[in-house]
Amino acid sequence: MKILIVEDEKELVKDITEYLSGENYLCEAAFSYKQAAEKIALYNYDCVLLDLMLPGGDGLQLLQLLKQNNRNSGVIIISAKNATEDKVKGLQIGADDYLAKPFHHSELAARIYSVIRRKQFDNSNFIKHNEIAVDLLAKTVKVKKQEINLTKKEFDLLLFFIGNKNKVISKSALAEHLSGDIADMFDSHDFVYAHVKNLKKKLTDAGYDNYLKTVYGTGYKWEI
Amino acid sequence: MSKLLNKPFKAFTIYALVVLVCSVPVYYMVVDSIWLEELDEHNLIIKERIENRFNTIEINEAELENILKIWNLLQPGTQIIASNLPEVKADSIYTTRRTNAYSSVNEIDRFRGLSSCIYINKKPYHLTIETNVEEADETFLAITLVTFLFFSLLVAGFIVLNRRIAKKIWQPFRNTLNKVKSFNLLTDKNIEFEKSGIEEFEELNTELSKLIERNILIFNQQKAFIENASHELQTPLAILKSKVEMLLQNKDLTEKQSELINSINTPLSRVTRINKNLLLLAKIENNQFAEGEHIDLTTILNENLELLADYIEAKGITIEKKISNPIRVFSNKTLLEILLNNLLINAITHNSVNGKIHIDCVEKRLTVSNTGNSELSSNTLFKRFSISSSETTNSGLGLSIAKEICARYNWQINYTFQNNLHSFSIWF
Repeated sequence: MKILIVEDEKELVKDITEYLSGENYLCEAAFSYKQAAEKIALYNYDCVLLDLMLPGGDGLQLLQLLKQNNRNSGVIIISAKNATEDKVKGLQIGADDYLAKPFHHSELAARIYSVIRRKQFDNSNFIKHNEIAVDLLAKTVKVKKQEINLTKKEFDLLLFFIGNKNKVISKSALAEHLSGDIADMFDSHDFVYAHVKNLKKKLTDAGYDNYLKTVYGTGYKWEI
Repeated sequence: MSKLLNKPFKAFTIYALVVLVCSVPVYYMVVDSIWLEELDEHNLIIKERIENRFNTIEINEAELENILKIWNLLQPGTQIIASNLPEVKADSIYTTRRTNAYSSVNEIDRFRGLSSCIYINKKPYHLTIETNVEEADETFLAITLVTFLFFSLLVAGFIVLNRRIAKKIWQPFRNTLNKVKSFNLLTDKNIEFEKSGIEEFEELNTELSKLIERNILIFNQQKAFIENASHELQTPLAILKSKVEMLLQNKDLTEKQSELINSINTPLSRVTRINKNLLLLAKIENNQFAEGEHIDLTTILNENLELLADYIEAKGITIEKKISNPIRVFSNKTLLEILLNNLLINAITHNSVNGKIHIDCVEKRLTVSNTGNSELSSNTLFKRFSISSSETTNSGLGLSIAKEICARYNWQINYTFQNNLHSFSIWF
């Protein structure tokens, strides 16, 4: 799957590319408005990560360009502005998601995963992951065909882990995923531990292979 | 404090009093001397007339004797007595005081007298003329009374004029004062002073305008600096965060290295938080939030509580919510969310483990209280970075943002400490 990263900060592009490389993704980068416009005109991408402040132009214009070309690519705006108006405007024009900088790579990966999945399986909303099957629409999870009851937060966590296979995910990234911007305001994210523990217990009880590992002192890893 | 115009008024009044009091003896002396001089002249004229008349009617010695006898009997003011002195006495003028023998009231009168020598039929006679003069004390009293009457008139006039002048000429000053009073640095609007046509006030207005302009400029520069600085910091912070996360993905990390990376994360997220909040403050100050809508406060409150539920639970905090009536406010939704969030986050982070949070909605007031040990200084509480920086959980900006939002909508926010409860109340 092809991803275009439109972002003028080269270091960030490098890290995002590296982080996503483990997945089935092929990342390309555009560092300016012009470069991005050219690439959008020539190629088709599954997902475009779009910074709004670009040398040579406004990211929102690029978004319009994308929509005019009628490309069926998912768009995630990554912006440092974090202005509600920009967010609303971007989503109105047709962006699929909005992520404020600075973000956790795991959060970005989860969002990309979700956007691409939405675009690809237009009607089917199932994720199969070895013995685990997730029905996104009904929000149900089955392990070995046996349905397990997850809370909303546990369900979110599971999707987050699946979207970040083989990555170490810090507790703060999980906290931010669960409670949004508010997580920023706290240093202690101990509640994450409780949710993960519950999720793990439910999955284990249903007999899944132990994919969810605790990385000492740092966070968790969905190893597959 | 006394009013400015009352100061010269007081001085003027005292000065007028002194001058008028001094004028009383002067008037008296002038009036009295005129009196006496006129009477002397009067007496002299009478003397001349008497002398002249007696000499024009030609009468003999015996008749004269008879007439003088009757004269002296009937004319009490004058006396003509044959002079039997060897030499003629010089004219003399004198003042005498005695009781008026013919008055029913026994009072002392003052008389001005002329004693002179006249010649009738070439024989010397001694003539004395006495005319009543106004009493000195009576003159003095009259002058004093009149003077005080005029003094009262002056003072009354001063008061009336003072009021009128105060109202009229100080009007431009009052206009300026009201404008300056209503000036708010945050609204970013310069003041337009009215033209008064009075040099002093124009000068004052010009200088005030300059001062305000400079203030606005400096304030704007400061705002711009904070905004630019935090904008510039955003990218390096994002990269730093990204790098730390990439480092975590390293498969060969030892336990110690992992711990080190984690301990970088804590201050890093604090810097990110401070930076975010500074940007937010700058945005509120720059009025970069849309005007707003009618919002039900309780809905937002419940949404926020739900988002915070994990943190509340993790600390074992119990929430006691008393909402006696729903509060509807007109504001920007994001700002209202931030305001409530900051208060709630504050109540959570500064709470004790297993503490309590009370949320009360009464009429137009929302109060968020949490358990605490000692009172905080309400003077510095809302200032930026006033809380000790050693507390890593704090950006030091939460309450100043809350205050800024309240100021924007003219809501009142205050802090009280009672029964071991820190309470923040907002009047919408």
